[in-house]
Amino acid sequence: MSLFFLHPAYLYALFAASLPLLIHLLNRRRLKRVRFPAVRFILLSQRRISRSHRLRHWIVLALRTFAVCLLVLLLSRPVFQTGAGLFAGGGPLSVVVLLDNSLSMKWSKEDEEGFVRAKEATRRLFSSLREGDRGAVIPTTHAGSGPWRLKADREVLIRDLEGIKIAGGTADFSLALKQAYALLREPAGQKEIWLITDMGLTGWDGFSLSQLEQYDPLIPLKILKVGEPSRLPNATLKEIKFESQGVGVGMPIHLQAQLVNFSDQEIKDLLVVLNLEGKNQEQKLVNLPAEAELAVSFQLSLNRPGAYSGHLELRKAGLAGNPTAYFTLEAQDKLRALIVDGDPGISLVQSETFFLARALNPAGEKDSSLFLPTVVIPEALNTIDFDPYQALIFCNVPVISDRLLPKLRDYLARGGGILFFVGDRVQMEDYNRKLFLSSPSILPARMSGKKESAGAAGETIDKLDAGHPALQGIKEPILQQSLRSTRVQGYLLTEPDGSSALLSLSNGAPLLLEKKVGSGRVLFFATAADRDWSDLPLKTVYLPLVQSLASYLAGGRRGTADAGLPVGNSKTISFPPSFVGRSLRVVRPDQTETEVSLKAEGGKAIAVITENDLTGIYGLFLPDAAGGGVPTPQLYAVNSPFLESRLKRIDDNGLRTKLSPIRAEIIPLKSLDEGGKSWDLSFSLLLLLMVTLAAEGWLAQRSNE
Amino acid sequence: MADGQQNYFDPLVLARLSNLYLRARWVVEGVISGIHRSRARGFSVEFEEHREYSPGDELRRVDWKALGKFDRYFIKEYEDETNLRAYLLLDSSASMDYASNGITKFAYGCTLTASLAYLILKQQDAAGLVTFSNRVESFVPPKAKRGYLMEMLRALEASRPSGETKVGKILYEIAGQMKRRGLVVLVSDLLDDPEEILRGLRLFRLKGNDVIVFHLLDPAELDLPFDGNILFEDLEQAGLEVTADPRAIRGIYRKVVEEFTQHLRSECHGDSIDYQLLTTSTPLDHALVSYLSWRG
Repeated sequence: MSLFFLHPAYLYALFAASLPLLIHLLNRRRLKRVRFPAVRFILLSQRRISRSHRLRHWIVLALRTFAVCLLVLLLSRPVFQTGAGLFAGGGPLSVVVLLDNSLSMKWSKEDEEGFVRAKEATRRLFSSLREGDRGAVIPTTHAGSGPWRLKADREVLIRDLEGIKIAGGTADFSLALKQAYALLREPAGQKEIWLITDMGLTGWDGFSLSQLEQYDPLIPLKILKVGEPSRLPNATLKEIKFESQGVGVGMPIHLQAQLVNFSDQEIKDLLVVLNLEGKNQEQKLVNLPAEAELAVSFQLSLNRPGAYSGHLELRKAGLAGNPTAYFTLEAQDKLRALIVDGDPGISLVQSETFFLARALNPAGEKDSSLFLPTVVIPEALNTIDFDPYQALIFCNVPVISDRLLPKLRDYLARGGGILFFVGDRVQMEDYNRKLFLSSPSILPARMSGKKESAGAAGETIDKLDAGHPALQGIKEPILQQSLRSTRVQGYLLTEPDGSSALLSLSNGAPLLLEKKVGSGRVLFFATAADRDWSDLPLKTVYLPLVQSLASYLAGGRRGTADAGLPVGNSKTISFPPSFVGRSLRVVRPDQTETEVSLKAEGGKAIAVITENDLTGIYGLFLPDAAGGGVPTPQLYAVNSPFLESRLKRIDDNGLRTKLSPIRAEIIPLKSLDEGGKSWDLSFSLLLLLMVTLAAEGWLAQRSNE
Repeated sequence: MADGQQNYFDPLVLARLSNLYLRARWVVEGVISGIHRSRARGFSVEFEEHREYSPGDELRRVDWKALGKFDRYFIKEYEDETNLRAYLLLDSSASMDYASNGITKFAYGCTLTASLAYLILKQQDAAGLVTFSNRVESFVPPKAKRGYLMEMLRALEASRPSGETKVGKILYEIAGQMKRRGLVVLVSDLLDDPEEILRGLRLFRLKGNDVIVFHLLDPAELDLPFDGNILFEDLEQAGLEVTADPRAIRGIYRKVVEEFTQHLRSECHGDSIDYQLLTTSTPLDHALVSYLSWRG
């Protein structure tokens, strides 16, 4: 049942209902003074006025107010309607249907998809439109992707409806209603907004009337409720976590799936399947307790570098909730690091590179780390080909041979990275002459002296360029705290060539400097890699620091594991600045393609992909200059918000409260089948007005007698 | 009241009143002969009858001629001719200074009082005047002199309505001071405690006076013909005010006033007091004529 008005603007005149009371109050304020001899008789009369007389007075006032209200209502042409049938009578209709196409609409009923029923209901609404009526349908998950227009052609409206698919995301009712009110700003005989939804709580959680900016509470809002609360097993994958540091070929990758059960019953024998590149890798059978979460772990190993796509899937008959969560992996081949030990000790522990090699490969096994360090002595450098190595690390190497120098320059020119650790064996004159003073210079600073202090005293590491990509691995405060607690007893004094220090000691002396040489980069650590000059190798920060520096030298790539982004969110991808102006081809999960142009931003070429409205794996391809497609190692996953799988509904009163003062009528979908009737209440109101006026006149006369 | 004299002696009123006799229901003490007969027998004026002598009769009243004729002792009886002593009591309280139709109750009361005085004096009876509010404002003792009217009129002219009405108290006071019986004419709006008023009137009656009450009200006091919300301020009691919608209380008000006048009327009737309700819109001559005609 609903009541609406053909000319709702007249309802503003309801303020006139206060006129009788205002006149009454004004009359009371506007007193006429009369000097009179028989005031005692007036006092006596007032005392004798009966309660019924006073009551009559107020009834007269109420009747006058009621009469004004009736007159205003009469002008507004009220129409009473039962059922959910569209209005039949009085002026052209403008109707906006907001179709809830959020993921939760998929599980509204056991035997039938709620979204199908919602579309069918919308179709019936549009079929009821008459000549001159106009309509529009707006999907609630894409309400911002307009522009939306009211259309008079029913076939066009039906086509628009057919184009709406169920989305993986959450409904944005605020935006949808805002669009509807904006559309209905145009004048029309009567206006209606229909919202067809499963009343899923998740969509309404974030709803706030203030987001609508403007709305017209006089426009009837009819909410067609799809589906009934069910007791289906309701579970989903809440999130995927990766526990490995970096993703490399042959490395074990630990993946943990967090499952959540929204229903009040335990879900037994739930199968969790891990799929990678279309093949099932592993599956586990679990019992998911009622209204609880459960972590399920998997382990993966990748056999080639490059991009991988995968997903986890819940399998259970009759399970309601999104069963699939997508993820992507980008596996790097192992980073090969050549470590040159300038002070090999008698035992392994005493060697200059013992801590360094362990930091790069803690377990010492071939496939346990992303890094593959190889330790050599300086004499072997002349015969080793540097090409297989992404990083060279010199540890306390006394001198740089003349034959080695051009090889180093060539290595750097081809994009290689070199890290110099110094020590007591380093001959500063040799380093300065060959690596700093000769052209092109390799070192970022000239060595000017050696500083050693006895005992535990020494300098601490004080300054840290935390934003530098070489130090990304030690972002965590606990690691930085560990770094600052390091005592450096011995170090080389340097005179930087203008390069800024990544790390500095408490006395201001630079500890770590960087220099870019051609496409390559050089890092210079002014202390030793072992425990001779500092206690850094014993600190927690040592391992992530060394790995971070090695990764940086190798180009910053350590492989990635990405659990994806929520549906509807945009994805930003950066490329080198030379890519500005080119187009990025995006292949969506449904194999449709779009193109996004790369724009310059912050010294990079940036692509922002906004159309992430489908769940699944998105592929990115950057066509080369010749026009062919060169697949980039870029894949990303888009997942539904896990709360969208929660089938909990908002109750009718809660929804009305959220929408107040918008007058919302919540109608079960079946009402549409039952149809309805409508009555123009004008004649009834006219009769009532006449009766009211007659009663007022009679009572007023009696009061004055 | 510069032209008060002319007003009080409206020729039309006087022409009609001059043909009327004011007859007291009770003869009061007096010596004037004529139309006013006293029930007290005297010897001064006119012979009425003989009666036989009985022991105790005064010897000077024996008719010696009748003894000579009939050889029996007769006593001569005379009918006394008495003067009417009329006390005209005019209320001059502030409440009398009210007019809704151009003439205040006080002005009307003055005219009425003067007319009565003229009539009484023309009949060669004695007329006196008392104006009062909560005290006696002026007192002109009753006399039967023809020129005495001017003195009374001057007293009336000098009066101004002011003060609070205390009719009951004043009547009690005046009644206590009256030495001789007579006619008491009260002209007032009687806006006082009715029981007090009646007590005072009864005292007059107990002393053998004839009492006439002219209850004088303004038509607005009877009908409350106002509109809108009104703050009524009392003419006599400062600070006594009440806000009312006359339309809402008019019916009740009329009933209250009716009860008040009816109570006075019935009580007066029970005490043989003549009561006449007048409004300031009632023609003065009509009021007098109708009253005096009724009085016979």
